[in-house]
Amino acid sequence: MSVPAAQAWTVATYVLKQRLMGRKRYPLVLMLEPLLRCNLACAGCGKIQYPAHILKRNLPVADCLAAVEECNAPIVSIPGGEPLLYPHIEELVRELVARRKYVYVCTNAIVLKEKLEAGAFVPSRYLSFSVHMDGLEPEHDEAVCRDGVYAQAAEGIRYAVAQGFRVTTNTTLFDNAEPLRVREFFDAMMDLGVEGMTISPGYGYQKAPDQEHFLGRSRTTKLFAQVLGAKKRRWRFNQSPLFLQFLMGKQDYECTPWGNPLYNMFGWQRPCYLLQEGYAPTFRQLMDETPWEEYGRASGNVHCQDCMVHSGHEPTAVNATFGSLKGLRDTAVSTLTGRL
Amino acid sequence: MEGDASLRGWEPILRGELTLVDVVEHAFDYRGDVTVDRMDGTRVVGYVYNRDASASEPFVQLFETKSGASLTLPYTAISNIRFTGRDAAAGQSYEAWKRSREGWAESTKSRGG
Repeated sequence: MSVPAAQAWTVATYVLKQRLMGRKRYPLVLMLEPLLRCNLACAGCGKIQYPAHILKRNLPVADCLAAVEECNAPIVSIPGGEPLLYPHIEELVRELVARRKYVYVCTNAIVLKEKLEAGAFVPSRYLSFSVHMDGLEPEHDEAVCRDGVYAQAAEGIRYAVAQGFRVTTNTTLFDNAEPLRVREFFDAMMDLGVEGMTISPGYGYQKAPDQEHFLGRSRTTKLFAQVLGAKKRRWRFNQSPLFLQFLMGKQDYECTPWGNPLYNMFGWQRPCYLLQEGYAPTFRQLMDETPWEEYGRASGNVHCQDCMVHSGHEPTAVNATFGSLKGLRDTAVSTLTGRL
Repeated sequence: MEGDASLRGWEPILRGELTLVDVVEHAFDYRGDVTVDRMDGTRVVGYVYNRDASASEPFVQLFETKSGASLTLPYTAISNIRFTGRDAAAGQSYEAWKRSREGWAESTKSRGG
């Protein structure tokens, strides 16, 4: 797959160290939201419906760095809101790169080219721009509820790639996705020169405007089996192949919500990136005091039954890779053959 | 909350089956500012972002609208919570977005765009 060897090595050694230390639960990717405001209002997003005074707030850089230190995950993903609207994004990224964290800035790329032209960032193996792309031009513009955004994002990607930045895409699929169009979209992203793609089914945020197009579990596996079946060799995914197999219904994983903890202006979100049931003041309290047994499909929690989202299940897949010979073998076979 | 329904304007009457704990849960779920009436007769307006009813001293946390300060109020200091601010999640339904998009497409067509 497309994760660079140095990054894969960092993740592998981190996971093995956690296992050797006997840790049952550990974070893999910190989701750090320095702000909640965005320059889009997508129908599938339940993250930005807040009063104006909340949307105006920014987490101080010192708070962000303290959260990174406390959590100590090897990867930091910066979603939002739109992180490029965060007034201290340059400083935050610089500090994280200096700490050798692998940073993914999850952006809609509307202002990416402008930021790069202004010299806001320096290419680094630790820095990736993960550009939100939900399909080809008509599908993406409809998903983000604004015409012209696909073209802006594609321009931003081309420019970033030309400047030597690592660029990936992140795509959420809903039940109105057409498999053949998604496959065409993968070709288009590879043509743009991205390092790899990430995909995930949408989750029915309670506050998301569009509630009718979220996928149930059986429809998810059917859709992803159609999308990823007979996978082209040129398609590169910045994800665990076992997670992609899980989406296709070939693996059965439980959710490990502590794998992708979320920190924002409210604190450490319980229990996961998607459900918003309260906040812990410290990472330790999040890990120690959250009743984890009440979440995940096996728990019977109704909110978890249809969820196959990456934030809960990709850490499980990564853990499976390094936790069993079968996981390691399946990952190696998929990586070497390019098949899922 | 379904569709465009909202609790905006709700002034709960705390008696019978409706308790402060229930109202706090609604306030936590509400995507708008609320007015918290205190036992001492003062009030504070803000966005409720956290609460813990199971803590040894149950509390509500909010960002005050005017000052931006984070306040922690014990349940015992609260007499009521009124849903006074605009609900940012209301009126944002997919149907509403589709209607506005169709309107935009029509106006573009009529302008010959």
